[in-house]
Amino acid sequence: MDEKGANIDLLFRNGLKDFEVLPPPGLWDGIHSAIKMKTRPIIYLRAAAAVTVLLTMSLLAYRWSREMSLGPAGSVIAFNVPASSPVIYNPIDNTQYLPEKKYNTDNNSSNVLVETENQVAINEEIETIASPEQILNVPESKSLYLTKNELINGLELKPLNSPKGNPIAIQYPDLQYPPVNTVAKPVKRWSIEALASPTYYSTFTSGNDQLTSQLTSTEDPLFSYSGGVSFSYKISKRFSIQSGIYYSSLGQRIDGIYSFSGFQKYNESKGSPSFKVPTTSGTVYTSNPDVFLAAYGNGKVYTTYTNDVFDPNKASLQYISNSLTQNLSYLELPVIVRYKVIDKMIGINIIGGLSYNLLVSNSAYAMKDGTKYSVGDTKGLNPLALSSSLGMGMEYNLSDKLSLNLEPTFRYYLDPFSITTGSLIHPYSFGIFSGVSYKF
Amino acid sequence: MSEIKKIIKGCLAGSRRDQELLYRRHSAKLYAVCLQYSGNDEEARDILQEGFIKIFENLHHYKHEGSFEGWMRRITVNTALEKFRTRHSLYRVDDIDTIQEPDAEPDNQDYAGLEANDLLEIIRELPTKYRMVFNLYAIEGYSHKEIGEMINISEGTSKSNLSRARVILQRRVGSYTGIKKKVANG
Repeated sequence: MDEKGANIDLLFRNGLKDFEVLPPPGLWDGIHSAIKMKTRPIIYLRAAAAVTVLLTMSLLAYRWSREMSLGPAGSVIAFNVPASSPVIYNPIDNTQYLPEKKYNTDNNSSNVLVETENQVAINEEIETIASPEQILNVPESKSLYLTKNELINGLELKPLNSPKGNPIAIQYPDLQYPPVNTVAKPVKRWSIEALASPTYYSTFTSGNDQLTSQLTSTEDPLFSYSGGVSFSYKISKRFSIQSGIYYSSLGQRIDGIYSFSGFQKYNESKGSPSFKVPTTSGTVYTSNPDVFLAAYGNGKVYTTYTNDVFDPNKASLQYISNSLTQNLSYLELPVIVRYKVIDKMIGINIIGGLSYNLLVSNSAYAMKDGTKYSVGDTKGLNPLALSSSLGMGMEYNLSDKLSLNLEPTFRYYLDPFSITTGSLIHPYSFGIFSGVSYKF
Repeated sequence: MSEIKKIIKGCLAGSRRDQELLYRRHSAKLYAVCLQYSGNDEEARDILQEGFIKIFENLHHYKHEGSFEGWMRRITVNTALEKFRTRHSLYRVDDIDTIQEPDAEPDNQDYAGLEANDLLEIIRELPTKYRMVFNLYAIEGYSHKEIGEMINISEGTSKSNLSRARVILQRRVGSYTGIKKKVANG
């Protein structure tokens, strides 16, 4: 039995070795869709990571801006008074002077400073006035910053031993401020901005018919770009409105469409398109009579020149590529509202608005070794599409007038590009715009 | 860099073209394996689909040591086993045997004229658990101990199942050969 068993084992092992059976057509579509679905969370994770990085940067920028506006630590304020007037030198050193209670209980406080000649002491009230918050409230034009150890006009400051419980009054005559010429700076309400960005383009699909899922499984978005010039007007301290003109180019690759050149002598279509390729953005119609298209894989080509009628290999046509590239260009006219969250050296804006997108060109081509072979164009596209955008702008002010901008922006097209397939396919794009703006 | 390395690299970079190329090159061989382990075409399709998804998901684990085809085959066989385990998880495999044992062992036979298609058809007619044990032992080369762990049966049951599977196969092969001879002789 063992020998017989080994024989039968060998029979099957050898007989089935290297045996192949072609799987049913269409199985690859299911596999590819599943892989695509599983890789999408990675894209979302990357987007989440990008948002986290941006938020962290914003927070750091905010903190940094705040610290910058408080000035260097340990600096003190003194009034800009005539040389003959007594000067209070009031160091703001939290570690030395706070909490205030310390001064009331400590008779031998060596921290209170007075002017020698006039016996001016600083009591609790003065200390309160000199608290950092109030110092900040002193009009800018009447103040100047000095370091802690500076003396003004040779005045010597010494500690005062005040008796316990006796509030020390300030004998501080003729503390007068010189007239100050306050000249209001003109507000720069207008600005012009130039921005550009590479953009990632993809689609959201509503409705799930078989054709749509088949089409989306063969389409891969290509990195696109967008850029333009805009003007903005500052309505208030926080709000500004912006418009301008942008040019954006979007593209996708349609896989499984095999293209060949040299078809013209066999082409009897006499001007009418010989091949139609349905895509989620519309149907590509061939306009180049020299191009032959076929879908051997899971792509789709509508034609009378089917595989059983015409074989491009037998006709010795020249193979170009196994995919088509579809390109759409839009002129974008946006109306954007900006809300300034942080208005410091590094500013943060929230940006949102709507744009009209005018279709200015569309083309379909095949590529071989960097050479473009024109195939045709896409029909059934909306010539005018409305899109919404939401983003966050970071602005680094180089000067009063000039700033560098970085604006991660998500754009969603409210109008589908096309409704050819019966499902609504809404494109979206994400780009990190960078550029400069000039205020005037 | 070898071509398969380039394809794998492309797949890891998310190139749809390379993924499809990998599928087109290896799907026929792996589908034959799926058919071998499944009782019907629908199940075979499911195994191939799930197997390929796992292959793409785990491609980064492949260290370019040993045969890539062998690595893919192991994933496909494991997928078939997972399906088998899921379907038979409610009871031990030993308890579901209802097939009648053959009465006697067949005589020496002439296996000539049998093609791979015939062998595949014969093997797919086996009861599921016999098919699993026979495939794992005779084709893949696992030991009874390993098979027992893989499909949750005892070593003895694995041996017994193999023995029964062999007897059934010998009888079927005999029938097939006889029919083929009759057809050939007119």
